[in-house]
Amino acid sequence: MRDNNEEKYIFAACTYFAKNHPGETCGSNGLPLTPSSISILGRAQRLLTIQHPNLCTYLDIIRGKHERIIVVTEVFGKSLEEWKSKFSFDEVINIGLQISEAMLFLHKQDIVHRTLADGNILVDSSGRVKLFNYGMYYMTGGGSDVPFPLGLPRYLSPETILNGGGPAADIWTFGIILLELCIGKLWQNLKPGPILRRILTLVHAANPAERIAREHDCFEAYKLVPDHLRNIIEKCLKIYPSERATFEELVEELSQANVKTLVDVKKPRGLMGCKLQYLYHWWQLTGGDIQAELKKNGLIKNSPPILSMPIAILLDGCTIGGKRGALFDRRIAKYSLDLLKTRLSHIPPQDFYPLMHERRRDYEAVALPKIIRERDTEYQFYRLLWFQRLLIGYPYTAQYIRAEAEIDIPPLVRGDVWAALLGVKGDIEEQYERIDKETPTPTDRQIDVDIPRCHQYCWLLCGSAGHRTLKRLLKAWLLTNPQYVYWQGLDSLTAPFLYLNFCNEARAFACLSAFVPKFLHKFFLKDNSAVIKEYLAKFWQMAAFHEPELATHLHEINFVPELFAIPWFLTMFSHVFPLHKIVHLWDALLVEGPALPLFMGVGILRQLRDTLLDSGFNECILLFSDLPEIDIGECVKDIVEIPMEVLLSEISPRISMSDFFSLTCQDKCCVVDIRSNLLYEKSCIEGSVNVPYSGVQLGQRDLRALGLHAHRALRDAVTHKNTIVIASAEDETAQLFSDYLVKCNVPRVCILYGGISALHSHVPSLFVVPIKKTGSK
Amino acid sequence: MATNRSGASQRPNGAPQTKVCQFKLVLLGESAVGKSSLVLRFVKGQFHEYQESTIGAAFLTQTVCLDDTTVKFEIWDTAGQERYHSLAPMYYRGAQAAIVVYDITNQGGAGVCGMRAIFTIELPTRDTFGRAKNWVKELQRQASPSIVIALAGNKSDLAAKRMVEFDEAQAYADENGLLFMETSAKTAMNVNDIFLAIANKLPKSEGAGGGSAAGARRLADGEQPRSSTCCK
Repeated sequence: MRDNNEEKYIFAACTYFAKNHPGETCGSNGLPLTPSSISILGRAQRLLTIQHPNLCTYLDIIRGKHERIIVVTEVFGKSLEEWKSKFSFDEVINIGLQISEAMLFLHKQDIVHRTLADGNILVDSSGRVKLFNYGMYYMTGGGSDVPFPLGLPRYLSPETILNGGGPAADIWTFGIILLELCIGKLWQNLKPGPILRRILTLVHAANPAERIAREHDCFEAYKLVPDHLRNIIEKCLKIYPSERATFEELVEELSQANVKTLVDVKKPRGLMGCKLQYLYHWWQLTGGDIQAELKKNGLIKNSPPILSMPIAILLDGCTIGGKRGALFDRRIAKYSLDLLKTRLSHIPPQDFYPLMHERRRDYEAVALPKIIRERDTEYQFYRLLWFQRLLIGYPYTAQYIRAEAEIDIPPLVRGDVWAALLGVKGDIEEQYERIDKETPTPTDRQIDVDIPRCHQYCWLLCGSAGHRTLKRLLKAWLLTNPQYVYWQGLDSLTAPFLYLNFCNEARAFACLSAFVPKFLHKFFLKDNSAVIKEYLAKFWQMAAFHEPELATHLHEINFVPELFAIPWFLTMFSHVFPLHKIVHLWDALLVEGPALPLFMGVGILRQLRDTLLDSGFNECILLFSDLPEIDIGECVKDIVEIPMEVLLSEISPRISMSDFFSLTCQDKCCVVDIRSNLLYEKSCIEGSVNVPYSGVQLGQRDLRALGLHAHRALRDAVTHKNTIVIASAEDETAQLFSDYLVKCNVPRVCILYGGISALHSHVPSLFVVPIKKTGSK
Repeated sequence: MATNRSGASQRPNGAPQTKVCQFKLVLLGESAVGKSSLVLRFVKGQFHEYQESTIGAAFLTQTVCLDDTTVKFEIWDTAGQERYHSLAPMYYRGAQAAIVVYDITNQGGAGVCGMRAIFTIELPTRDTFGRAKNWVKELQRQASPSIVIALAGNKSDLAAKRMVEFDEAQAYADENGLLFMETSAKTAMNVNDIFLAIANKLPKSEGAGGGSAAGARRLADGEQPRSSTCCK
């Protein structure tokens, strides 16, 4: 495979500087202007999603220091510029056809190429054509974000030179390229100025193609070009853009003229058969470094900073001199995959094609923290291939995806997996398309002021593309959920979905729409105070259940969750943590279900436990206003280890009968019966401890006061992490007694729902007559 | 808590004569006028261009030294969005001081609404100055009668885009007995000054109760606010 030199290089990078904003640095709203590089990054995201057989896939856009942009894209074969041999007319037609197909695809996506040139048309030995870096004009906002002009002079159409031009300019350029393929390079030894002048003089020519040929003394050669090809060239090289052919017509005409069929290249197997995006990702994980190679090839030059200082700065802030490379550097650095190939060389071929029915592999890496697993080449290799397999089968593989997501989610497919976990399916584009996202509403003002401060450290979300999309998403959601209103925080909640589905607005929307009812049911009601109060009450009960000492302390200093936990739950922590933490947290959230945030909250309290216990009200609230470093993995880990059914039962300190029953069967609970001796002796739950409520001194916070037997039973339960279930005849005493136990710092206390009588009528088999013990109370 | 609040343990530099007073201060105003930025500038001396929105409320403290007193502010920075209004009483109840903030460029007022007027959407008073006036009214009606209210016209660095005239705001402040300053959290202009002015105006009577724990308790169970302030 490697002997073929063409396949050695898989991707390439080029780099350029974005324009600096001269003078004023603040926009009208007082916020700094978005740097051009950020705008470029935002627009380029769409390019990353483009897939076409005749287009080189964009793999990555990196923002370097000092407004540097690095574009990483697939590379292949040699550029037309590098092919020295002349092509036959049949080959020209075939190449032309492939270019027009690619161009037709781009134009359909409203992307104008504008920089089409022989240097970025790549052809391999079998005659396959791919366009390279076709998104420069698009990503730079029509060239407005870069300090250099776009396009090579000889390919510019007359109207482009006169500072205009739309998609039809690409047709002209295409015509020039065909012409060059037939009669050789045009205007070869001229400087840009004279070339532009020559092109402009063509305006007077009836037949520009013929005129160009005459100018180059190639009229004879031009006459030799077959009629149909010459026709096509002439249709492209019309002065008036509206008279030119379109790529749709060109594709049709060229395919009629085309006689050459390309040999089907067998799809490579093994590593090279994997998705290019995966290869690039793995290559990076093995230590591949785009910038290092660029530096080595001299595409990034480090010059002393003093040299980049301007010679003069005018009063309006414009600078003179000190500019780094004024023109676009067309050189590219190519990268081979040798590093990755060596790293994965020991992997047996069958492992590239995991089968659904195969037993799942156990990896050693599973024991490592998530962040390290995400950086492990081999682990990600297996995980990605496996997830790819599962995702292809979605929605039929939904349950497998869920099971795998419980372990972890590879970052590269997180967006897809989340959508699968949220059950997003069907024609979401069509549904999203139908929603009116433009009509102004009274909420717009609030959205407008919130978006420019929502996760703005993220390069994707802080550009204008991010702002616009976030606004559309919010408006769409509000419109489709008329029962809900915009509460500040909804923006933060939407941000992770946008971040992961930046180019797939419809899916971001579908995810948000599925997420809210599942995790934030009724939170966005106009009057949500009852819902939030209830949620916070649950949270507080949970805190008491797991961290009795802490809960008692916080209760005593009146540190109520209303003061600090509303943003936690209203935004599912998305307002509290940075995005890289939110994704890990939500990974667990989507798998574990709606009870998780409560546990997360308790997990945070637990991590800050020592500080909180030593602090008064002010210190506590200050601690939460400025939330210190929280280890998400740690918070999530504690939770995930508790089995699901237990988790559910723990939400409420009132344990349902079925949960109680399952706990008893697992011998995971200690029942404290607080009825009187008399009732207890008639019949009681097997294995329960009797602590008559009437004899308990609530003021005394010492378990020993309950008597030796009860004390020992409770102590054992605490050490074995068993749940303590309080059974009583009436609810009120049970509540008071559970409070008492919590104050004695006993964790995992809950009350049997319905009390003894309900249990007795449902599961009488649990009841026995206690053996009389002497000595026990 | 009680020992914490005694003058002796709070004294920052061991100066023997200073007494320490604690005041609860609340910031109110339309969203994105710069409440959080003002507090951040005052407490930490920082300014973040992209200060994130406040949900619910945030709490910070800062101590300022006057001639003979050390004043410790317990600052509640509230959410600006109208919807969070129902939470506001929880924060201003028992507060001894309030800063009501508006944006001198009045973002969201005439600028945006004017443009949208063609769509004839009924917009409530969305201009930040109008909202500030409503807050003042509400405080006068519902908060402690002795509350010291300051009006802050923030974003004075954007004077070129001014929509609310200084004189207009000053006249309104005089009428209602408010302290008034135009501030800029970005350039720090008048930020410390407005807090100092409040500290000066607050009664620092000897032996009056007040302070954090009590303030918090009132917060939680909604007792009537105590009228007098302060500490020893």
